Amino acid sequence: MESEKRIFKRLADLPIMPSTIGTMAWNRTGDWRYLTPVVADKAAPCAQACPAGIPVPVYLNALRNGRLQSGLGLLLSHNPLPGLTGRFCHHPCQAKCVRRKIDNAISIRRIERSLADLSNNAAIQKIGKTDKRVAVIGSGPLGLSCAFYLGCRGCRVAVLDPQDRAGGVLAGLSPEKIDPQLLEDEIGRLLHLAEITLETGVALDFRRLGEGVPEADFIILDPTGFSEGNAFPAGIAEFDPFTEGPPDSRIVSAKLPENLEQFKPSLIAHYIGAGRQTAIKVLDMFAEPSGQPGISGPNPQRRQVVNAEDIRLERFQSSDHSGPAKGKEEKWEWERVFEETKRCLSCGACNQCLQCATFCPDASIRPDETAVTVDLEHCKGCGICAYECPRGVITMEAVSS
Amino acid sequence: MKKVMTGNEAAAVAAKLARIQVVSAYPITPQTVIVESLSEMIGRNELKARYMPVESEHSAMASVIGASMTGARVFTASSSHGLVYMHEMLHYAAGARVPVVMVNCNRALGPPWNLYCDHTDSLAQRDTGWSQYYCADVQDVLDAILIAYYVAEQAFLPVMISMDAFYLTHTSEIADVPDQEAVDIFLPPFKPSDKLDVNDPKTFGNVCGANLFASIKYGRHRDTLSLEEVWDRASTRFCDHFNRPHPAVEAYKTEDAYVCVVATGSAGGAIRLAVDRLRQEGVRAGGLRLAMVRPFPRRAFEKAIPTARHMIVIDRDVSFGAEGILAQELKAFLFDHHRDVKLTGFVAGVGGNDISTDTVVGLVQQAILGVGTAVEAGTTLWTDVLP
Repeated sequence: MESEKRIFKRLADLPIMPSTIGTMAWNRTGDWRYLTPVVADKAAPCAQACPAGIPVPVYLNALRNGRLQSGLGLLLSHNPLPGLTGRFCHHPCQAKCVRRKIDNAISIRRIERSLADLSNNAAIQKIGKTDKRVAVIGSGPLGLSCAFYLGCRGCRVAVLDPQDRAGGVLAGLSPEKIDPQLLEDEIGRLLHLAEITLETGVALDFRRLGEGVPEADFIILDPTGFSEGNAFPAGIAEFDPFTEGPPDSRIVSAKLPENLEQFKPSLIAHYIGAGRQTAIKVLDMFAEPSGQPGISGPNPQRRQVVNAEDIRLERFQSSDHSGPAKGKEEKWEWERVFEETKRCLSCGACNQCLQCATFCPDASIRPDETAVTVDLEHCKGCGICAYECPRGVITMEAVSS
Repeated sequence: MKKVMTGNEAAAVAAKLARIQVVSAYPITPQTVIVESLSEMIGRNELKARYMPVESEHSAMASVIGASMTGARVFTASSSHGLVYMHEMLHYAAGARVPVVMVNCNRALGPPWNLYCDHTDSLAQRDTGWSQYYCADVQDVLDAILIAYYVAEQAFLPVMISMDAFYLTHTSEIADVPDQEAVDIFLPPFKPSDKLDVNDPKTFGNVCGANLFASIKYGRHRDTLSLEEVWDRASTRFCDHFNRPHPAVEAYKTEDAYVCVVATGSAGGAIRLAVDRLRQEGVRAGGLRLAMVRPFPRRAFEKAIPTARHMIVIDRDVSFGAEGILAQELKAFLFDHHRDVKLTGFVAGVGGNDISTDTVVGLVQQAILGVGTAVEAGTTLWTDVLP
């Protein structure tokens, strides 16, 4: 959009109507700006409430655009067991869903569950390749989650379970509570996508664990890997992934907060989050950049948040769809999932509605691949974009030049 | 074809004959009939134009400016409070050099609320850069609108045609309505070379630095001054086609006049009768109807007052704290021309008070003899004021 500035030297050369010849791009009005619009996705209230930090609007946006595989990939980037969370998690995300102020919450639970049923093939981009070998002892939700993210980051991970059936505490639940086939399918997808191995019925001498797994650079014990009654081996250094830095010994067992010591299926997302967090710390130990452990997707801990009050509810209309299904939990087909994703307000996540670009008086906002870009050479900093953004993505900030 | 019609009807007929393409207007008494008539013509498909309903006069003017920029021939009409609400956009229209033609029905500004004739509404717009023409009668309304389009499109400047509330807007007179074919020959379609075109994007009304600002304004001022000549040529051309003159200044028996009565609008008729009566009484009187106020028709005015020694100006308006606006205009003109002329300024006929022949004769007598009913305030004498 560059245009040459034309110099008029004679009165007779001036056009009758005061108008530009060419564009005004030469006039770099960005100099006038005091405040700068900052376009940044923020953690939505649902994601803030999620124990696993799942950025719900982000993967719903992918689904809304018809991209099932990448939507599932984005979900898996924070939750590699959606078929289980979709059934057992108590879904605090739905309790915080801003859509409730308009009609009903998005049925995140049903979407999760249906996605797990609909596809095994997620678009996952593996990042990095390392020759580090990790042994995860125990195949409970924490261990599997940790193994998944390490595997996605290119670590060579072996999950070793002394029990005959994989799943740790989950394998100890009754078949009425958890369908064994479902558990097998969920674990199977996890192993397949992260390219990691699982061995059950492994005879392990916990007193000489280091010698038993000599090839491993690091060995981690999964406290959810042992069903109730099985004594957790004593004498192994404990490591709290939430409060401590990278572990400093070769063999550690993950330490859980007190409220999670007694496993409850409804709290499964907490264990998945703890496993992901453990993987982050292990990668830190390996000096691998851990911001995105394994696969693409933002890290909720490092993001700004958007609150319900920041969402401009008056811009949205009530929908015909009811939201969370009541009564019988029939399976949702893709079309129904797709319809439900369209109800998401996409709090804090740009979905390229382009309300900002429509109202920008300087035509300084353009869509890019995933969000919008502000042309700071010309943006005068009026703030209309931030006012118009219905979802709190754009904020006006004092940015030093 | 001769028809009996009001000034409002004549305005609508003229706009139709001009083949306007876009109308945007907001109704206000006493102008409403104009836009009602036009909307009916469009509704009946007699006029192929777009009618843009708007929420205010400001938007009406903004709409016709935009439409005019695309090369459409546009029309709007307003009055009084509606006109002053357009004020910002009036400046914009002239600055944007769009040939908008509008009709203003001169009505008093409130408070106190009043629907009747007063020229302050449009004279208060004299610095907006519009050409201003004040009509004498219904035929003048019809013809002046056609001339106005010709002038506006020649000069790329907007023209405001004003007519007195009720004296012209709602009074029926006989008017000669020209044939469409004849009007089409007089007024060719508007085809600007430079216009708003989505296929050739430009920014209009954009920022301009000090380096060009004065030049652009100077150019516009010069072009606006030239409008007297443009009007002169256009009205002469109109007269060639339709045999009706519409000069910028209408002089009545001024060739040898010692006393000259000056006014604008429909009072011209009363002034002519008053001049006749004064001449019978031995006063060498003449009448001047200032049809064009902007640009001030300096050449026509100079020619019309060769022997005048005393100008009596009747303003149907006032610039509060100064005097009548026409009196100011004339004083400025006379000063420039070093004329040793006495000037007596009256404010008369505001808010529905008639300016009759008796009124004019009385004012002339008071100006000459110093005795009369008009009361003094500053340099102005006011009629129709309580003692």
